[in-house]
Amino acid sequence: MDGPLAGLRVLELADEKGQFCGKLLGDLGADVVKIEPPGGERNRHVGPFLDDIPHPDRSLSFWYYNTSKRSITLNLEAADGRHLFARLAATADIVLETFRPGFMASLGFDYESLRKQNSRLVMCALTPFGQTGPWRDYLSSDLLHMAAGGEMASCGYDDVDVPNAPPIAPGGGNAWHMGCHYAYMAIMAALVYRTVSGQGQYIDASIHEACALTTESAVANYVYRGEVLRRQTGRHHAAGPTPRTQFRARDGGYVCALVGGRLNPKFVKDLAELLDSYGMAGDLKDSKYQDQAVITASTSHIIDDLIANFIASLPAEEVYHAAQERGFTWGAVRAPEALLEDAHLHDRSFWKQVEHPELGRGFIYPGEAAIYNGSPWRISRRAPLIGEHNTEIFCDELGLTRGDLMILAEGHVI
Amino acid sequence: MAFSASLIYHYDLFRRGRRARLCNKSLLRVSYRKSVAQWPEDSVERNVVSLPQALKNIRVVDFSWVRAGPWATRWLGALGAEIIKIEWPESERGRLPSTTTPQNLDVNLNTSGNFSDTNVNKKSLSLNVRTEKGLEIVKRLIAISDIVIENFSSRVLRNWGLGYDELCNIKPNIVYVSMSGYGHTGRNHHYTTFGPVAQAASGLTYLSGLPDKPPAGWGWSYMDDTGGMYGAMCALTGLYHRNMTGRGQHIDLSQMVASVPLNGPALLDFTVNGRGSRRPGFPPGNRVHWPGTPLVNNYRGPTVAPHNAYRTHPGGYNDWCVIVCQSDEEWRSLVQVMGAPSWASSDKFATVAGRLQHQDELDEHIEAWSITLDKYELTERCQASRVRALPVQSAEDRVEHDPQLRHRQMYQAIEHPALGLHKVQNAPFKLSETPASNHLPAPLIGQHTKEIVEGLLGYSHDELRAGYADGTFWPKTRQRFLYMEEILL
Repeated sequence: MDGPLAGLRVLELADEKGQFCGKLLGDLGADVVKIEPPGGERNRHVGPFLDDIPHPDRSLSFWYYNTSKRSITLNLEAADGRHLFARLAATADIVLETFRPGFMASLGFDYESLRKQNSRLVMCALTPFGQTGPWRDYLSSDLLHMAAGGEMASCGYDDVDVPNAPPIAPGGGNAWHMGCHYAYMAIMAALVYRTVSGQGQYIDASIHEACALTTESAVANYVYRGEVLRRQTGRHHAAGPTPRTQFRARDGGYVCALVGGRLNPKFVKDLAELLDSYGMAGDLKDSKYQDQAVITASTSHIIDDLIANFIASLPAEEVYHAAQERGFTWGAVRAPEALLEDAHLHDRSFWKQVEHPELGRGFIYPGEAAIYNGSPWRISRRAPLIGEHNTEIFCDELGLTRGDLMILAEGHVI
Repeated sequence: MAFSASLIYHYDLFRRGRRARLCNKSLLRVSYRKSVAQWPEDSVERNVVSLPQALKNIRVVDFSWVRAGPWATRWLGALGAEIIKIEWPESERGRLPSTTTPQNLDVNLNTSGNFSDTNVNKKSLSLNVRTEKGLEIVKRLIAISDIVIENFSSRVLRNWGLGYDELCNIKPNIVYVSMSGYGHTGRNHHYTTFGPVAQAASGLTYLSGLPDKPPAGWGWSYMDDTGGMYGAMCALTGLYHRNMTGRGQHIDLSQMVASVPLNGPALLDFTVNGRGSRRPGFPPGNRVHWPGTPLVNNYRGPTVAPHNAYRTHPGGYNDWCVIVCQSDEEWRSLVQVMGAPSWASSDKFATVAGRLQHQDELDEHIEAWSITLDKYELTERCQASRVRALPVQSAEDRVEHDPQLRHRQMYQAIEHPALGLHKVQNAPFKLSETPASNHLPAPLIGQHTKEIVEGLLGYSHDELRAGYADGTFWPKTRQRFLYMEEILL
């Protein structure tokens, strides 16, 4: 069974800003051709590396963000390179590019030029700040986007945990994820419209705007109430202090236990049963706790004594499952590697074995966010080696000879 | 429910606005293009404006609540789909509780600011689906719709008699996107999530914080934003596939599972190299490496210094700037921007390895300079010399002070009948032929019940009145809002 995007050809001219969008398109079935400069795209030089040996074909970051793609090398600043790109663009469905604004136009590849050969083409430029505006040419990075986008203003610590803590940017490269999610959405909207209109269009997507959109209620709190929110350890930003939600477990891990704002007689009764099943209910079974006023007055006792002690007495995973089985929306704070042990993910066949034939090895990769029951979302192959598909695409598809390839290689075009 | 005086006031404005609007269509066209002052129930005016929309003629039955699901359908609506939000005031979560109601208004079902921003571009049908009559009505609606989307826990829709098989009986090529916490399959499918729990259980929370401190995590439900994005992405992908093949499908999205792939490189470091994230110096705060710990990549790009947040003048809560130098060349540019201080000429800062090793000292020196400058001034000076720097921005900063977001018209005002004129967030992309737009304010609860039940589904006005009388469209014992009385006239 084919993925939902089967039959689509994507030309990806993307670095760290857009490679995840290309992965999403590829894992969902599109034929994504990654066009790299001769020598390889620079994210091949980002660690960690296989066995900690740096090499452009051993970057795990590159591996992860470039599954289900093919790779060709092409120097777009050479005339022959531009000619070959124009031929590819004439039959492509999507061009995804993350160059600085104006660069594609300087090569003669602005959208208006490309659409003359291919009116069905959808072209998405995903850049730090978009194609216009005073910051258009500013440099950025993941950390810079997390600052200006507002993520950092909302993330950090209670003073009791880390006095005078700076705002903290969550890790993992999520600024790029945010930009890529919105770029993917815009591309799909253009493709759906194309099924009706037959025409492509141009998309100017901004990572800064995507990040600025991704702080939940922070903007609404300001717009509707004039509030600027404070950072709190492991829980929601808020105009004023709220009860903690992160508790240390016996094994040194933490549990995210949402309690504040939920303390009503029904919740407390259920909580007493949960704690009592471990003999740790304390006085919580007392009938006085069916009175909301008593509960409210006992908030600190319930949270800081009873719940904190209960969680401190057990491993985090045990608290997580015991609480969830009783209907509590709680979770263990897991290090990523702990997910490999998660039975639920195994039930959903989440982990995928991806073969790396050139190494004679296969590795476990995280799989898909959703199960498509009618057209699978799945990794079709490992990330390509540099220019791995030059012959397939230049010779088999475009009709170049092996001799042509040699000349292009010698001229640093591929 | 008590009816607030302010809501009556706004409702009166609302009606007067409609009359004024009908008198001046050319003015209306201008305001439409600016996405300003849009009024509900404007299907006539939407036809007047000829901007094409990507999802024109696509109808979405939207059972979603709280935040992640509504954030998904918000974008489908911005792209032109007709979003019909099925709501019931007795089991409503998203409008209430509200911590974002303006101080001058009563908190009620129609005054949440966050709901308002999250639910632009939608219509509201108040309907008790857990009655025979309500179920029949929603089935008639599904029969003429393209997408059904919901973010209940895993068995709710099926228990209502609206599982995927039944949806297919009603509309064979329906695209059904379920957005439950853990998905519809797997042993923990009955577990529930809010954003912070999905973030914790998936490993996202762990990647944020300082070494040897508790996880800082994310200061909001990142996975409500991102889970919502995946909901919209899945719906659009399913829709594209349907348009190409004629076949619908059930897409089983899980908020918790969707979080896991966001940790990709950290997970591969473990599955390939056997290196877990429980290690000294991890997570390294805003840095990419913590001094005194083994040099390994920490999953935020190249391992370089400086790479941190620095206090700026006048030292307030959000007076910080981040600065990153990704090369020696960028470092030398920063030194020039700082006025070439003597400490910066030390050999120990001349290389990436040296700057990483002496980060504490490096950061101290940089902050002694940064604290003398306003964060926007520092940003401009650095960027003018091709040094990577941007301010930490609060929501106020983004809405009021960010020149780029202003230029890109990120926040534009829209008139809401209960809340008045307020800025809402626009799309972060510009589609050249089918621009996304905020063309409808968030609906009052049940605001479009008549339009949908009579206009779309063809029930008579008497049937509508009977439905209000028997508790199908509004709880019998609950006080109605004034606009509902007008619906029933």
